[in-house]
Amino acid sequence: MSEPAVPFVASTLAAPLPPSGIGWLDEARRENLAAFADAGLPDTRVEAWKYTALRALAQRRFVQGDAQAATREVDAAALALPGLDGPRLVFVNGVFRGDLSDLANLPAGLTLQPLSQALAQDAEPLRFALSRRYRERGDAFARLNAAQAADGVVLRVAAGAKIATPVQLAFVGVAAEGELAWHARTVVELGEGAELALVERHVGSGVARQLGTLVADLVLRDDARLSHVLVQDAAPEAVLVHRHALQLGARAHVSLHALELGGSLVRHDLQAELAGDGARLDTRGVFVPRGRQHIDTQLAIRHQALDTASSSTWRGVADGRARGVFRGAIVVAPGADGADARLSNKNLLLSPNAEIDTKPELEIYADEVQAAHGATVGQLDERALFYLRSRGIPQAEARTLLTAAFCRAVLDDLPDAALREHLDGLLAVRLPA
Amino acid sequence: MTSERDNAAAVLRDNAEVAEALGRSYSAGFITEIESTGLPPGLDEETIRQLSAIKREPEWMTEWRLEAYRHWLTMPPPDWAKLKLDPIDYQALSYYSAPKQAPKSLDEVDPALLETYEKLGVPLHERAALAGVAVDAVFDSVSVGTTFRKQLADAGVLFCSMSEAIREYPELVRKYLGSVVPQGDNFFAALNSAVFSDGSFVFIPKGVRCPMELSTYFRINAQNTGQFERTLIVAEEGAYVSYLEGCTAPRRDENQLHAAVVELVALEKAQIKYSTVQNWYPGDENGIGGIYNFVTKRGDCRGDDSKISWTQVETGSAITWKYPSVVLRGDRSVGEFHSVALTHHFQQADTGTKMIHIGKDTKSKIVSKGISAGRSNNSYRGLVKVEKGAERARNYTQCDSLLIGKKCGAHTFPYMEVKNPGAIVEHEATTSKISDDQLFYCRSRGIGEEDAVSMIVDGFCKQVFRELPMEFAVEAKKLLEVSLEGAVG
Repeated sequence: MSEPAVPFVASTLAAPLPPSGIGWLDEARRENLAAFADAGLPDTRVEAWKYTALRALAQRRFVQGDAQAATREVDAAALALPGLDGPRLVFVNGVFRGDLSDLANLPAGLTLQPLSQALAQDAEPLRFALSRRYRERGDAFARLNAAQAADGVVLRVAAGAKIATPVQLAFVGVAAEGELAWHARTVVELGEGAELALVERHVGSGVARQLGTLVADLVLRDDARLSHVLVQDAAPEAVLVHRHALQLGARAHVSLHALELGGSLVRHDLQAELAGDGARLDTRGVFVPRGRQHIDTQLAIRHQALDTASSSTWRGVADGRARGVFRGAIVVAPGADGADARLSNKNLLLSPNAEIDTKPELEIYADEVQAAHGATVGQLDERALFYLRSRGIPQAEARTLLTAAFCRAVLDDLPDAALREHLDGLLAVRLPA
Repeated sequence: MTSERDNAAAVLRDNAEVAEALGRSYSAGFITEIESTGLPPGLDEETIRQLSAIKREPEWMTEWRLEAYRHWLTMPPPDWAKLKLDPIDYQALSYYSAPKQAPKSLDEVDPALLETYEKLGVPLHERAALAGVAVDAVFDSVSVGTTFRKQLADAGVLFCSMSEAIREYPELVRKYLGSVVPQGDNFFAALNSAVFSDGSFVFIPKGVRCPMELSTYFRINAQNTGQFERTLIVAEEGAYVSYLEGCTAPRRDENQLHAAVVELVALEKAQIKYSTVQNWYPGDENGIGGIYNFVTKRGDCRGDDSKISWTQVETGSAITWKYPSVVLRGDRSVGEFHSVALTHHFQQADTGTKMIHIGKDTKSKIVSKGISAGRSNNSYRGLVKVEKGAERARNYTQCDSLLIGKKCGAHTFPYMEVKNPGAIVEHEATTSKISDDQLFYCRSRGIGEEDAVSMIVDGFCKQVFRELPMEFAVEAKKLLEVSLEGAVG
């Protein structure tokens, strides 16, 4: 590029690529890095980044990878989830920490290991996922991740296996010297008829001025079922760019619950392809930016096969000087007859300095279709507030109550009661008092 | 009273006949043989100077055009709309064409031209009088005749061609031209500002309610001529005007570019209602030919308690790129957008609106109905923006799409940007096809499939048709029927 070097890009390119010793992987890393170097960070003229400006980020320099990650202090108790003690993989600043993880007594049919280990043992099954070249205009961070991610998660469930205990993945951001960038890559595959519950968390501790990127591919073969809970509670200073790409085979079903709570600048791309006949996707999510947080959620659902269904319910609450961004795009491809697509995004705007930008989209190319979306931005219902106050509940408390109820709609259908309660608690802490 | 009703009925009949005449293979696709004098194809500063000279424009107007042209040179053509089109060679177009004899009154108008209007059912002369409609008919680039000047003048309403306004009312034009859509607003608006040929100018002075509905029929003639109308409507304090714009164009095999700019200014308590029926040549069933319609329409509710309402029925054009918008600047101002957009065969439409809430207690309402048939693509693209100071702003948006056939597309891209915590913004959209149950019911009652479809479509669009002036409503319904022919079965 002839333009003056952008500090972010320059500092990224200064770091060496992680060596893998695998020809095709090194090549993919080089090519993705070259693509990243070429295009740099997207500006707001790129549609996918219209409401998320990266100008400030572009001026920052990051050190790639944390050499001390293996010895960083982490409060293990803070990682525990009530009622959950199944298999667990923990990463600190993008590096696998065996001491915090629990890989003993994995149930039959479940393969769970860090990516670095899987690559060392047998890289071939990962070739398809890790050879990908990211070509979209807005794919800067996916390219960067593909080039730099040296570790992550490989999770497989054998055909027909039903894993009873939820599997936990935790990505912990811990303060390091200087500004740190870490990258993690997740590959999940559920065989035919397999069932899995997955709890994925981003946790931060301390003043972690860092950038984390995570790219996850989740493939569900025919008749597989996945319940995926995603809790993003990164450190207040952290920048997190994560992307989940789901692919659903025939009659596969994914139920996803997402809480976007932490971070200073967070971007979440959630992409789903309903590739097999009768596939079904339910997503529920809430984002609650406050202070100066900027949380951008981009949901893209593609109906590609016959009789597919998707239903999405997302809530946003913006307070302080925060900004919440939501895009919910639904595409019904030609021939995807029988598609039933529904999306709703409701938002509360609580402060005169906060902003909500929402963009539900429908792109329909088939005619045997039921598709609807709705989006609103507003405030708490004055009549509901009045009702509560008339029952002796003080104004502030009434507001909190109603706001919590507004958000909780996304957690209502989470079957695991203990987990639901825990998430309710996390949410309650976040909501404006 | 009675005669008025009779007249209205006569007009309805006339219009129905007009729509009838637009039959299956676009019978409005005749070409009027009149000699045209135009500028040779090509665009540079010299072309603009010549154009300005032909139109005997003052120096400031020439400079204004040149400024726009220089800005246009720096702009890339927009690529964000969901449209497939080949790059346009702007040097291959001719930027001015006019009927050879400049007519001084209707009597002097070339009979062939009048015949064109006759075929289209433009109510000039007595018909206009009967209809109570004043017509400023634009044939290509020069205004041919303007009726009802006197009645309007008595009311203090100015209604004339833009060229005339530039000569006769330069101070008004200078004050308002480009004040809503600046020269460099967007690629096509900049082009229009540089080369606009003619258009309508309407000025309703303070407190005046325009005594009749104003109407313009635009018509694109002369091959290879991009037509660049510029319309400016100003309603002063407390004024009211309803303006009708309708279009048809002769059949052509080469794509014609049309880049119009419409500016509306509503001062305090003023109301402007702008209705459009657009039926330009959409290309044939194989997607050959048709008009490229890239229009910038924007209204500015500049004063408190003002109201601007857009109603459009879009059935024509090969490609439509059009977003009639309202800037709600005044407190308590109201913006409305009612739209029916129908695409068939290979037509592409990317249309919608923008409502920019700036003033307090501003309200906007958007009702958009998209109908896609054949292999067409029809997109709604809209923006509702609530600025920080727009206390208690309120928006309601409803976008429904109807699919007829398996190879068409219907898309919805609403943008909502809200910066005020007192605002309420709501958007709802649905997409579906005509249900088999509905069709079956109609057919079991002996209604043929095509009639049933047109009936259902009519019901689907009713909410918008209600907003149309009566003359247009009948025509619009007919137009949809005609446009949908061959879409089912």
